[in-house]
Amino acid sequence: MMEGPLNLVITGVGGQGNVVASHIFASAASKDGFNVSVGETYGASQRGGAVMSHVRLSEKTQYGPLIPRGQAHIMLGFEPIECLRAVTGFGNRKTRVIVNPRPIYPIDVLSGVSKYPPIEDVLEAIKKLVSSVHVVEATELAKEAGNPIMQNIVLVGCLAGTEFTPVKIETLKEVIEETFAEKHPRANLKAFELGVEQIRRIKPI
Amino acid sequence: MSYIGIDEPGKRMLLMGNEAIARGALEAGVHFCSGYPGNPASEILTTLSDVAKEFDSYVEWSVNEIVALEAAGAAAISGLRALTAMKNLGADVCADFLMTANLSGTKGGFVLVTGDDPSAHSTTSELDTRNYARFAGIPLLEPATTQEAKDMTNWAFDLSEELEVICMIRTVTRLSHSRGVVTLGPIKPEKRSANFGFQDMWTSGSSRITCMLHSILHEKLKKAQAKFEESKFNWYVGKDDADFIIVTSGTGWLYSLEAVKLLELEEDVGILKLGTTWPLPEKLIASHLRHAKEVLFVEETDPFLEQNVKVLAADLAIEGFGPIRFYGKKSNSIRGEFGAGTGELDVDIVIQALTEIKELTYVPTEKEYISKAQELLSSIVPSRTMSFCAGCPHRASLWAIKKALKWDGRDGIVTGDIGCYSLAMLPTGFSVARTLQCMGAGIGTANGFGNLRRFGLNKPVVALTGDSTFYHACIPALINARWNGANLLLVVLDNNTTAMTGHQPHPGSGVNALGQSSSKVLIENICKGIGVEVQVCDPFNLDEAVQNLYEMLQTDGTKVMIFRHACPLAFPQEKKVRVYVDQDKCIGEECGCAKFCTRVFGCPGNIWDYEEGKAKIDETICNGCGFCAELCPEEAIIIEEVA
Amino acid sequence: MYRIEIKGPRELQNEVLDKELCSACGACTNLCPYIDMVAGRAVMIEPCNLSEGKCYDFCPRTYIDVPTLDNDLFGTYRSDLRIGSNIMVIKARARDDEIKSAAQYGGVVSALVTYALESGEIEAAVLAGASIDQINPKPTVVRNRSDVLQCAGSKYIVCPTITEVLEAAKKTTGKIGLVGTPCQVTSVRKMQASKFETAADKIGLVIGLFCTWALLPQAQDYIKDLVGSVNLVKFDVPPPPANMFIIETETKKVEVSLDEMRRFIMPACNVCFDMTSEFADISVGTVEGAADWNTVIVRTGFGKELFRQAREAGIIETAPLEKERLDHLYEASLNRKKKVLKEMESKKISCLIIREEDRSKLLS
Repeated sequence: MMEGPLNLVITGVGGQGNVVASHIFASAASKDGFNVSVGETYGASQRGGAVMSHVRLSEKTQYGPLIPRGQAHIMLGFEPIECLRAVTGFGNRKTRVIVNPRPIYPIDVLSGVSKYPPIEDVLEAIKKLVSSVHVVEATELAKEAGNPIMQNIVLVGCLAGTEFTPVKIETLKEVIEETFAEKHPRANLKAFELGVEQIRRIKPI
Repeated sequence: MSYIGIDEPGKRMLLMGNEAIARGALEAGVHFCSGYPGNPASEILTTLSDVAKEFDSYVEWSVNEIVALEAAGAAAISGLRALTAMKNLGADVCADFLMTANLSGTKGGFVLVTGDDPSAHSTTSELDTRNYARFAGIPLLEPATTQEAKDMTNWAFDLSEELEVICMIRTVTRLSHSRGVVTLGPIKPEKRSANFGFQDMWTSGSSRITCMLHSILHEKLKKAQAKFEESKFNWYVGKDDADFIIVTSGTGWLYSLEAVKLLELEEDVGILKLGTTWPLPEKLIASHLRHAKEVLFVEETDPFLEQNVKVLAADLAIEGFGPIRFYGKKSNSIRGEFGAGTGELDVDIVIQALTEIKELTYVPTEKEYISKAQELLSSIVPSRTMSFCAGCPHRASLWAIKKALKWDGRDGIVTGDIGCYSLAMLPTGFSVARTLQCMGAGIGTANGFGNLRRFGLNKPVVALTGDSTFYHACIPALINARWNGANLLLVVLDNNTTAMTGHQPHPGSGVNALGQSSSKVLIENICKGIGVEVQVCDPFNLDEAVQNLYEMLQTDGTKVMIFRHACPLAFPQEKKVRVYVDQDKCIGEECGCAKFCTRVFGCPGNIWDYEEGKAKIDETICNGCGFCAELCPEEAIIIEEVA
Repeated sequence: MYRIEIKGPRELQNEVLDKELCSACGACTNLCPYIDMVAGRAVMIEPCNLSEGKCYDFCPRTYIDVPTLDNDLFGTYRSDLRIGSNIMVIKARARDDEIKSAAQYGGVVSALVTYALESGEIEAAVLAGASIDQINPKPTVVRNRSDVLQCAGSKYIVCPTITEVLEAAKKTTGKIGLVGTPCQVTSVRKMQASKFETAADKIGLVIGLFCTWALLPQAQDYIKDLVGSVNLVKFDVPPPPANMFIIETETKKVEVSLDEMRRFIMPACNVCFDMTSEFADISVGTVEGAADWNTVIVRTGFGKELFRQAREAGIIETAPLEKERLDHLYEASLNRKKKVLKEMESKKISCLIIREEDRSKLLS
């Protein structure tokens, strides 16, 4: 398959379901026989701070939980400025990005201390730094599936619908069903499927 | 059967480090588990409590770490296998018992797991608890992978039982909270009965007995050392007689391995990975110091291995070892953003050290890319400071405190404490709190501030605490305040849960770690018992809250105000509502409001529409508490019940 | 020529609140979430981020543009430097027995407010109402005779009446009235003259009181200590040279030297230029040595009309004010202005805008 690990960064704001998304993806990868390492930020960051998950797939060797600077192959951005922030640290010219353009305003912006840049500027900035950027209105799709908080599952679906990773769509669906067995498995599967369809429908910006 | 307890040896599972530790304890047949919630260790106990029923084990959240360790110690001396888990600062709290339990020994396996937090992601210190192992003279294990987290925990019970001494496992955030693939082992639950009677004695003595026990402890350590020399948790990879070796432990192992690979130094650099790090397996280490000319220490936070190996090297010098050039924290080779010995490790830090020492160049991304990225980062990306969740009662409580203190007008002091409300120091908490150290330090330090009137500090002193923190650490300080006449007002922010660490129950919850109904210990009853004036108020009734606080501040004495309102994440409201801003009524930036809800109050559910120049509600974030509607000066925020 | 600069909350804090010039009139409160009235002073929780605000504009201590206010109300700058523009100065008292027994002096204020309500001139009024213990007056919205009677009696502890005025005005369809001290009357007129739009244009009747000082709420504790926890009936300050503060309870009368009470006088009162509410429609005070009469200064056309109607309807009776008493009133008011102007000069307080020749006259 590949030399070295496949590095995926999932980034967003505390409370957006970062951890659930990385867990689903990593579990599916593990089921598909890959060696997986996931690095998370828990704790205080969950209180509205920036959070990142590092997911690393490899065929044999186990890698450490943190992706080295500039080594991310794929970036899933749950929030645009967090996506840009993560790209500046871990992106490179070959990185592929899938991002939800819906802003979540930091208190620094709401209080007037900082300005939230226009979304187009943020997306352009990301585009300048990476190989490709797919923009997916994941929150809207999640609403279609039943609840806007499932935007994380939509984006996992988007990732699955690309050729960026070797993880199988079927395996991901199994994991989603298991994970949400007690609450709304169908809604989450729908969110996932909408993500898969959407990414295949659109082109990168 | 919950998945962590599955009896399928050989099965591969993706586990979190903390889950792996819990699994290791299950495989060792643990009987008694205790602890206090603390990042990054909390999940160890929650995982064990999930399967306690199936495994017939006992799991408790104790009121604090010392009681947790003491309780577990009792179980262990009664012949059971016991585990206590806590965050690094918890080790400080239980140190008193640890420094005597090491001497008083154990019968059943007794394992202490401490979770350190390099870079202090969720802690007010970067304390490296490995020092406690050396301090207490007990065996220390440092897992480097999730697999080791499981295997070491399992083995630690055997080790502890054989040597009759408490053993310590030190994990860090990046191990505890990362996930990796683990191959499960067999579970060997062993039914044991607890025995302790008149014929037993369990003490660290005093005078000559203590010295004797101390000497016995030294003997135990020697035995541990002998085992460590042969341990499968220590290994060496790379060139047999490499000139340059890395000595590493914990997360340093995988980072070093990757750094060496990226720099293509596999042929030149050997890596000695240690899993048993106190006492040091001296013969093993010596065998590699023999051929090394340069040694780089890669470890989280303190130069623990670095200093201890240097002591060994000094001893070995007489045998002709060296000279060896040592690199690590002292040489400033391994350094975080703020210097050596602070901040967590990562691959890039190890790469930096190796490239500097070996004078190599390594460019992960071109300079141009880096500078463009830096420019974008500083010019258009705003920072994202932490904030209270939507609907959090702390926001209301802290606004009430801010108002009451302004009403009072004497520039009152607010001391902070540990929990979600630690954010009281930040803009989300109106920067109301000015101090923050450890559990209970809020009221502890207020005892001092509240008795400085004779020295000219004559102003109100307000100490913050949470409900869980109150039980953990505040009671002795409250007694002290009453006894020593400290003028202070303790505000207990009671949201009916231990929130910051993941909503664990506490003595006021009416439920224990196993989810069983339990007696409630009410904070107001404790206060009444101590004899201080106590009031209970809902902070969402803002006017009442401010008025009562203000009045309490007008007279001297030790008083308590309990601001009680449940955490909306732990206890989501059942009534479904839709909250929105009437765009016609909203006056936004005009005099009379000046964007109060977004600019000042700061609930993430209140957002500002720059195009319309009006406030709006972000419905995906808003949790429907309705508090902003009460505060809106134009009554422009509407709450509608939804079917 | 002078220029008024309307500033914002930071300047209000610096120029007024930090300098202890706040007279607790209440005009800057209830406008926004940032300023509250607490224990006889306005408290700014935090300044908002605006550079211009109603709080600054309405405050009677940021700037008092006497020429403009005089012009707005009377059509011209004051002819009388001693007691401000006026149409007549006269003695008056209520005729209704119920009002007379509830009142402390002539009952004219209660009578006029009741008349204005009952005749439909105003729908509601904001008065300083007595609280249950009689010691802590609170702004009270009244709508009928019995409401008014509840508020009868002189108050010596400060009452931030203006906190409730705009709210009350918003809630009525017709006009409202108020009874206030000179600083309170000034703030209301500033509201009406302000570029900021508010419900102040619904304020119809403004009755001003004669005032030389108000006491801080801390005076309560001292008074309670003196008399114990008994129900108070009223306070009284007989005219000089008595130098007394009289506290009447249900069972006894306690006399305290006025000097004892002076430490509770609000510092803001020491720089108050206006003893007789010079911007009111009608100003009402006592008559020295005649406890059942009031001195009344009728100032505006509207005030004159209402006063005439009330007299014709038999609500009040009048008599000419003796020359001796009138001269004494002029003298007292003028001396106060001289004293205050000197105090303002020495403290570098520059909020009072009057004609330069008047300023020189008063300072000489």
